[in-house]
Amino acid sequence: MDRAGLTHMTKIEVVISGRGSAVVRELFRSTGATGYTSVSGISGLGHDGFHQGRLLFNEHDTLELLITVVPDDRVDALLDGLRPLLAESSGVMFVSDTFVSRPEYFT
Amino acid sequence: MALAGRTLPPAWPLETFIAVNPLGGLEHLPFAEAIAEAGDLLGARGTLDESAFRAAHADGRITDADLLGALTRFDPGSIVGQPIDAGGRLLDPAAVLLADLLHGDPSPPPVRVRRTLSEQHAPEVAAIVDAQTAKWCAAYVDEGHAAWSMPDRDQGFYTAWRMLAPRDPSLPSPVRHRLRLLPHRPEDAALRAMADLGIGESSRRHYLEAHLSAVPGWAAHILWRSEHRRGVDLVELLAMRLAYEAALLAEHPLATASEGEDSPAAPTPTVEDRAAKALAALGVEPAVGLAAAARVLERVSVAARSTVWLDAYEAHYRDLLLERLAERAPTLRADRAAAQVVFCIDVRSEGIRRHLEAAGSYETLGFAGFFAVAIRFRTLAGSRSTAQCPVLLQPRNEIDERSAAGTEHLAARRLAGEQALASTDEAFAAAKNDLVGPFALAEALGWCAGPLALAKTTLAGPYGVIRERLRNAASPPAPTTLTVEDGFSPEERALFAEAALTMMGLTRDFARLVVLCGHGSGTENNPYASALDCGACGGHRGGPNARAAATILNRPGVRGELAARGIEVPNDTWFVAAEHDTASDRVTILDEWLVPETHRDELHRLSADLTNAAAALSAERCATLPGAPRSPSPERARRHVRARSTDWAQVFPEWGLAGNAAFIVGPRKITRGMDLERRTFLHSYEASVDPDGTALETILTAPLVVAQWINCQYYFSTVDPGVFGSGTKTIHNVVGDIGVLAGHNGDLQLGLPWQSVAEGERLVHEPMRLLAVVQAPLDRIDAIVDRNTVLRHLFGNQWVGLAARELTEAPWQRYTSHGWTPWNSRR
Repeated sequence: MDRAGLTHMTKIEVVISGRGSAVVRELFRSTGATGYTSVSGISGLGHDGFHQGRLLFNEHDTLELLITVVPDDRVDALLDGLRPLLAESSGVMFVSDTFVSRPEYFT
Repeated sequence: MALAGRTLPPAWPLETFIAVNPLGGLEHLPFAEAIAEAGDLLGARGTLDESAFRAAHADGRITDADLLGALTRFDPGSIVGQPIDAGGRLLDPAAVLLADLLHGDPSPPPVRVRRTLSEQHAPEVAAIVDAQTAKWCAAYVDEGHAAWSMPDRDQGFYTAWRMLAPRDPSLPSPVRHRLRLLPHRPEDAALRAMADLGIGESSRRHYLEAHLSAVPGWAAHILWRSEHRRGVDLVELLAMRLAYEAALLAEHPLATASEGEDSPAAPTPTVEDRAAKALAALGVEPAVGLAAAARVLERVSVAARSTVWLDAYEAHYRDLLLERLAERAPTLRADRAAAQVVFCIDVRSEGIRRHLEAAGSYETLGFAGFFAVAIRFRTLAGSRSTAQCPVLLQPRNEIDERSAAGTEHLAARRLAGEQALASTDEAFAAAKNDLVGPFALAEALGWCAGPLALAKTTLAGPYGVIRERLRNAASPPAPTTLTVEDGFSPEERALFAEAALTMMGLTRDFARLVVLCGHGSGTENNPYASALDCGACGGHRGGPNARAAATILNRPGVRGELAARGIEVPNDTWFVAAEHDTASDRVTILDEWLVPETHRDELHRLSADLTNAAAALSAERCATLPGAPRSPSPERARRHVRARSTDWAQVFPEWGLAGNAAFIVGPRKITRGMDLERRTFLHSYEASVDPDGTALETILTAPLVVAQWINCQYYFSTVDPGVFGSGTKTIHNVVGDIGVLAGHNGDLQLGLPWQSVAEGERLVHEPMRLLAVVQAPLDRIDAIVDRNTVLRHLFGNQWVGLAARELTEAPWQRYTSHGWTPWNSRR
């Protein structure tokens, strides 16, 4: 893949219950992330077993995937906040390198 | 800071009072651990105290058999084993355990362990921090009710407070100087204050919890505002409190204390002391058999005794309920029902369903009172819209009330009347708040205010009737419709219709009239009015949802879609909306003008039967309402509850959901004819029409969850009204529309007032955890629980009990973390 002209950044994906997602979004905001993508009602198999996806009348107790992209200098602060949060509740976090074409959107 | 707030429940404002589990943040823990944690955090009691359980035992409300059953469930080995040789007399371990439960020294009251430095070493400073918290929070959240709003409020809480606090003349000058130097960001202010207080990084979380638990009411409401983006969050609250504490302690001679120390807990009796007391109660010389008795008691700690008592208390009710349900023989209906009436699952609906079924060949069903339409509703007057759905959902569809075609002039008259009445109220309020206005107001209207107040107090019934007539004269009703075509796409309408009918098990044998009956509660001068409205409608009246659902289900296009999905609704079936007022027991048919002429006679007969059923229900309710006639005729009862609902001095307008104890999911035939004492949520469900379990999964993950929140709200408001309840109504002062204070300042009061759960010292609500009773295949229930974390927590951690059977003839099974076991009643 040609990455010329793209800017290196870090992508953080968090899978957490709908009840806990507000805290993660607030953490994104307070550590300087300029935006995020959320996907609600996701399903999947984890170490606690299968997790149901969208429920008809409950958006509170389904899993949500939150994705944000931040410059490398903001990653540590964000991870410092996420680690204790996920240590105390069900949820997972994925951190990976990524490249963006419009870095000004993320800084 | 976010972690510190995770154990708090969000506290909704009063205008949409939503019942929540005050310990919702701890549902990932087993119930016993969660209440222990709440004890440490809030100093809150998690069950009734042992003296209350012992009194219930003395009254026969708990039996020895109940206690033995609970001990067995707690530890199967606890009551078996070798008898104890007590000087030639053999004692069963069970006898020793029972003696300890009945006669042991009571468990010490819980103590709030995590406390702030100022609480530990300078209580006067802690009092100032709390008072300042209450003052600024009340000023900020006022929502425009006060004549003067907080300056710079639009810039957010912390910024506005930071500008004003240094000018507060009640604070010493050095403290004001320190506040003047606060950073712009609340996060920085909190960190700086914790550094000044010597709170190390590893202790921060507990220290922040200590601050939040010092004012749990304000913290819980600000958590709600944070989640709903209402201008303030917990970080700002904590920054303010920590800044005050650091600034005040810097000037305080006792400010040399180190990090927070745990407060001393009251001593717990040793197992030897317990054994000696138990043996003495059994008439045995304590020196004999002491060690053996102590070994028996070691299996059930003092802390565990309360949960054993609770289990026994619940078992007594649950065993009896399941026995009664097991005895029910299903009755098969031969003819088409005269009408099918769908009520909300709310426990209050059980009474009117029972009385209506007794009045004729009616079928009733139970369904969440928002009738599966999650709408944002705006009335004809175009006032702000309300979210008419459970708080688990965001409203998906915007629905407006519009004048019916050709009746615009009637709608205009109604609107003009409403506006005139609203203007009068506003003018009166403005005159009251003006500097000079109150004097002129007293001169102009004082002569009639006294007699009017006297009439409202002593003649509440006639006063209510006259006022209603005047209102109707000023603003006469006008036929209106709802904009369901604009609010729902055709696909959404069809999906809603299929989901709603499948969930309630109504997919065949439709009557000519199917009534969707929502509910609300008309009360006067009651800050907690929305707590009595429909929880499934977000603390609002359910009429708009019933109207929207009926409108959709009557659309020919929807009927066609339903037929394509296998649900044939006969052409002569008409859906009608209605609303039950649970305070006055008045049932109102809504949009009656839409009902075809061919169905009018049946509707009038049904309406008459509903009126009679409601009067019978009123008579039943009078037996438990304070000050009501004890055995009134239905007509007298009807007059009494209506007068009561308009009485501005009435602190017991109705009992709401007090007594709620079980949530039954199954066909009505298993409960029909049974007096369930308005204590059970009833959700209709037919397993045979839901082979893939989708409907059951929706019932268990939504209505059951809301019912559990309600159950926990009542439970905790009863077991510790000082922490989880809002105390007595008689000293409540309302802050904006958001909450109440006990007196004129202090913490915002959480939960239900004492008059919602008790009369004087007598508990009206029996605090028990909810029992879910489900008639469905057990493997279907297992599969649903396994894939939903919320259900694994509720059932696996004993927040909700679960009994189930596949068929009416099958014995009840108990859900445990090790699988299903026979219910094993010990009665």
